[in-house]
Amino acid sequence: MTADRDLAFLSARQIAALVRERSVSPVEITRVYLERIERLDPRLRAYITVMAESALHSARGAETAVMRRQPLGPLHGVPYAVKDQFDTAGVRTTSGSRILEHHVPVEDATTITRLNAAGGILLGKLNLTEFALGGTQQFPFGQPRNPWNLDHDPGGSSSGSGIAVAAGLCAASLGEDTGGSVRSPASFCGVVGLRPTWSRVSRHGSFPLSWSMDTPGPLTRTVEDAAWLLQAIAGYDAKDPLSSRAPVPEYASALGGAVRGLRVGVIRELVFGPETEAEVRESVVAAARRLERLGAVTEELSLRLVPFAGAIFMALGDADGAGVHHRWLRTRPGDYDQGTRRRLLTASLIPSAIQQRAARARALLRAELREALARFDLLLCPTAHQAAPPISAARGAISGRQEVAGRFFTRRSYVTPAALAGLPAIAVPCGFTRAGLPISLQLIGRHFDEATVLRAAHAYERESEWSQRRPPGTT
Amino acid sequence: MSDLTTDQVGALAAALGLPATADDLAEVTHRLNALIEALAPLADLPLEAVEPVPGFGEAPAS
Repeated sequence: MTADRDLAFLSARQIAALVRERSVSPVEITRVYLERIERLDPRLRAYITVMAESALHSARGAETAVMRRQPLGPLHGVPYAVKDQFDTAGVRTTSGSRILEHHVPVEDATTITRLNAAGGILLGKLNLTEFALGGTQQFPFGQPRNPWNLDHDPGGSSSGSGIAVAAGLCAASLGEDTGGSVRSPASFCGVVGLRPTWSRVSRHGSFPLSWSMDTPGPLTRTVEDAAWLLQAIAGYDAKDPLSSRAPVPEYASALGGAVRGLRVGVIRELVFGPETEAEVRESVVAAARRLERLGAVTEELSLRLVPFAGAIFMALGDADGAGVHHRWLRTRPGDYDQGTRRRLLTASLIPSAIQQRAARARALLRAELREALARFDLLLCPTAHQAAPPISAARGAISGRQEVAGRFFTRRSYVTPAALAGLPAIAVPCGFTRAGLPISLQLIGRHFDEATVLRAAHAYERESEWSQRRPPGTT
Repeated sequence: MSDLTTDQVGALAAALGLPATADDLAEVTHRLNALIEALAPLADLPLEAVEPVPGFGEAPAS
């Protein structure tokens, strides 16, 4: 069991290296994860669909390729899993909703095609908040739970993607980040989550929420793994006409670069604002100090529109989602979770004058961030204002407008600035609360400059021990 | 903008053909009024000076 546990928590790159040198077989490591899923997932509910048979079939093929000394991809033999928002040919793809409970796509999402081409072995489809919106009250496929404390929220919308990586139920996972859906579960579950620049990664085959913000991104146990998964999925895709033709650099080669001289802007409103809990602030300030010791130059700056980002996002992103769901809202309202239905109904009724105000404010926020990133290489803040709250905190009907602000606007203001501006951002573990829940640092970079984001995050990660901790009951 | 009432929200939903229970409408009214209130201070910004476009197509960092 000890050996299996050690294998389960290796990084994706370590697994790929062991497979390449024939120290571990793809079948062996796949069986390790399948056994752990069977043992641990009934209480964590990270998975909606486990693809045991096809995963073992792929693993046997990967093993044959190794033995025949065939060319191997960078992720050869690495078992991974994906949010159940990404299409899988012949395998149901539910988007976490009863409405799509029996939906079986005929084609893989481009991201899955690319991860498989890099040698990855798909273990299964991961749980999420319904249709990648937050606020699900009753999860149709089981309540996902935070592995650090089962009574706490694992974050969303890529809930299972965060849980599975943190609990050693896969080597790495893929999520989708419209307004924080990769970074929030990474934050609450204590793993790395990368939102790439909007358009850097194809959205083809991913159930949409907001066309101008949807961005697939990896959740991993190390920053290096995030770089390798991004390498595999990034680049133009003719099936997504909005995907970028910008060249894709070698992300892993940038990891070893120096942090010395990097200019890092510390966002005052999000680090020192009243909403940020004291333990979070202390950990994030300590992380900034550590980057300083590595040679970065930090300086506080004020971004006055950032506190409005959560509300701006909900006026725009949710309205896009309401358009996507309009037909089902009319014909199948009872098949939605109550929380999802009410959020989409709200978005359907937002007055156009309010949407226009939000859209113009988004343009000003984007300009504010662009000007800041002309002065700084990176912006630094917490990924969330608090560690994972109890699941019960977001249960029940909303009884007043103050509750709406608390549940929806505040926390989104930490992750939606990057989403509204299309910027790359990473969540990296930077501490734990006294109650043993992870705290997360967020670094935001310039458009298409994931390399600098990854480089700084990697340098910080190497100098801290947070990524080495494992949730209780998973070892 | 003054607060929306549950009756007004119900009428809007009905006009769009969106079925909603009384409990749905009560909560949606809270949500809409909270959103309108949260975005109200933005009216003081120079919003007319910018166009409401998402701003995609930014160039890669040099």
